[in-house]
Amino acid sequence: MHLVPNLLAALNFSTLPEQLVNGLLLGAIYALIALGYTMVYGVLRLINFAHGEVYMLGAYVALFASYHLGFGPNSTATSSSLANLLIMLFASMSICALIGVIIERFAYRPMRGQSRIASLITAIGVSLLLQYGGALFLPNSPPPSISENVNPYRGSFVVPLSSPPPSLAIAVKQLGPEAETKNKALQDYLASHPNESEFSLSPAAQPLKDQAQDAQRKLDDAKRELANSGVNITIRNGDVIIFFTSMVLMIVLTYLVRYTKRGRAMRAVSHDFDSAALMGINVNSIITFTFVLGSALAGAGAMMQATFKGTTITTFFGLLPGVKAFVAAVLGGIGNIPGAVLGGLLMGLAETIMVWMGYSRYADAIAFVILILVLLLRPGGLLGSDKVEKV
Amino acid sequence: MFWPKRIGSGIAAIAVCFLIDSITHHSFGSYEQRIIALVGIYVTLAVSLNLINGITGQFSIGHAAFYQVGAYLAGFISRRYITDAGHTPPPVLWLIGMILVAAAGASIAGFIVGLPSLRLKGDYLAIVTLGFGEIIRILVQNTDALGGSYALDKIPKIQEIWLIWLLAFICIAVCRNLLKTARGLTFLAVREDEIASSAMGVNVTRVKVTAFVLGSAFAGAAGALLAHYEGLITPATFTMDVSFIILTMVVLGGTGSITGSVVSAIFLSYLPEYLRTLKGGDGQPLVVSGTAVVAALIVTVLAVAAIKTVLNRHLFTPQKRGLIYVGIIIGAAMLEPLFSLLLHPVPMLANMQVAAAQLRMVIFAVTLIVLMLLRPQGVFAHHEFSWDWVKKILGKGPVPSTEVSA
Repeated sequence: MHLVPNLLAALNFSTLPEQLVNGLLLGAIYALIALGYTMVYGVLRLINFAHGEVYMLGAYVALFASYHLGFGPNSTATSSSLANLLIMLFASMSICALIGVIIERFAYRPMRGQSRIASLITAIGVSLLLQYGGALFLPNSPPPSISENVNPYRGSFVVPLSSPPPSLAIAVKQLGPEAETKNKALQDYLASHPNESEFSLSPAAQPLKDQAQDAQRKLDDAKRELANSGVNITIRNGDVIIFFTSMVLMIVLTYLVRYTKRGRAMRAVSHDFDSAALMGINVNSIITFTFVLGSALAGAGAMMQATFKGTTITTFFGLLPGVKAFVAAVLGGIGNIPGAVLGGLLMGLAETIMVWMGYSRYADAIAFVILILVLLLRPGGLLGSDKVEKV
Repeated sequence: MFWPKRIGSGIAAIAVCFLIDSITHHSFGSYEQRIIALVGIYVTLAVSLNLINGITGQFSIGHAAFYQVGAYLAGFISRRYITDAGHTPPPVLWLIGMILVAAAGASIAGFIVGLPSLRLKGDYLAIVTLGFGEIIRILVQNTDALGGSYALDKIPKIQEIWLIWLLAFICIAVCRNLLKTARGLTFLAVREDEIASSAMGVNVTRVKVTAFVLGSAFAGAAGALLAHYEGLITPATFTMDVSFIILTMVVLGGTGSITGSVVSAIFLSYLPEYLRTLKGGDGQPLVVSGTAVVAALIVTVLAVAAIKTVLNRHLFTPQKRGLIYVGIIIGAAMLEPLFSLLLHPVPMLANMQVAAAQLRMVIFAVTLIVLMLLRPQGVFAHHEFSWDWVKKILGKGPVPSTEVSA
């Protein structure tokens, strides 16, 4: 185990702010997926294991949509527009919603009277079926990825957080001309002595070369110090789009759940399934509505992940994000919508902090460690109730 | 009357193990021998998971973790002691020692996982066990001394098929005899109702942790046998899918039924190998078209829907139910070519070639779903095989079962 000794040595605090921002941006995707888990759990008390696979299928839908828009594997199209992205987003969201509804109708609804474990096993079965069945029908080797040309907003921008101390900039300015003159002297000497090159100098000219090198080294050192002492955040445009789209979708979701009649019905079903049915709520249609919302969010997340991050797509694309998002949902308090968002953002942060500390190989394990700790210490999650589940 | 019977069955079990061993060594090639060894290992895994899942009712889906702990522990020690240091202990004794060590190591892991089960139940516990399994896999994968993500190789090969099956028999015997004792009944009590059983004086904590420790010890022992049979183990041998396969075995057999776990473990671990040996008309491995696969899936959905509607609407005698099942399945099998014909014009499907062996996990997944929809208690439900049962089928007598009447 090399975990402990170099724990502190490898930390570079000037990159920490950038990693934190990246973590929040990564967390936005987790939050989108976690919302689907949390809503379904709230309504059905079922861990929808297949949610990660819905997310995976969303990425494939986005892939095929991009093919149809002319960004196929062999295409040379380079110019794209916002409309293309919106078409892909819409396709992903609507087809994922449809898939979610189909899964609910044919796999989960018949299981409703059965024990929760039986439903969970069905969910695992659906998840395996989509992974391995999908692998038969969908292109997955070599794993395809959405052409980056489809994204018109490539590139990144830099946010300077703190500028380096002015003395460093002055030092660089002073050292620059000095190095230049020393180097010029060397070059002049070389020009006037054509039979000598930089590596075969006469002993008399050796000091010239040494001086030039010394001056250059000082300049480089000063430049490096200047670059490292300032704190900058480099953010990719795509990440910003992901973050803001996610936020918009979450606001829409909050509106739907809190201020519409269906949303109120959904909360009623989540609060008490049987009473809600007795109060005249069509429970089946509310559950379908829940799956539509959750799966559409997963589709949106998948489309953005696959388009803006260019992740390669296989049928196991949804496995780890799905599990991590589930952990996020538990962390925030499963069944709790703001909790899922908070949990997602925290998960993203935790993961990038692991990467920042130099343990990227353990970044996948941190999710499970968090999960176990949360379940042992605060099973209700951060924002959930403390109520222990009754038999 | 009791002890002679027990000693007799013990001797019989050992005799059967040696019989299996000598038959496989004399009349099968190494490929078949490996299948028989793996089937034995899977029987142990399924029965030991059944102890946790089916008998004690603690839903664990991370069984591969304990299997992995045992395999890596035994493999690592053997490699260090025999391959690297050059010692030559008697192989069978060494292997038995390694089995014990692996069982001890895995049971410690089981104890650690068992602890959260005191606070968690149902699906939460399932997720924690799954997470624990993944943590173990990721740790092993990143430990260079254990071969990292490639493999722990150069483990001395000690291929004793009789020992593999003896472990399976011991596992079965332990679980079966446990259920015959008063202590075993507390396991069933915890499964049926935790609160009621604790009110009746059952030490729920102890029962749950015991189940985890026992179950994981057997899985660890199976891991040690695997490591020495294969001589090489990789983290990929112990992924989540393996846990799900073992879970499928337990669920298909009937949660709580040892007989069911054994039968379905044999069936499901042989199935992929059977698919691999299937030959098409040209002697090549069998390849089916995408059309046939999709048609089969559609027909399965229809058959499940038909069975559910017919059987939910009316009450039938068991014989009639059986006939209806058979009838619908035969009807579905006849419909399959029809759907294939209907789907034939779809070029994407018709052009697709799927090797039969690739269908393995798909078949497992469909089995899980169909089973949950039609018979969530599994094929054998809580029933156990016994001679009384045979008598019942032939004539009369009570049916033994671990079912607790409501």
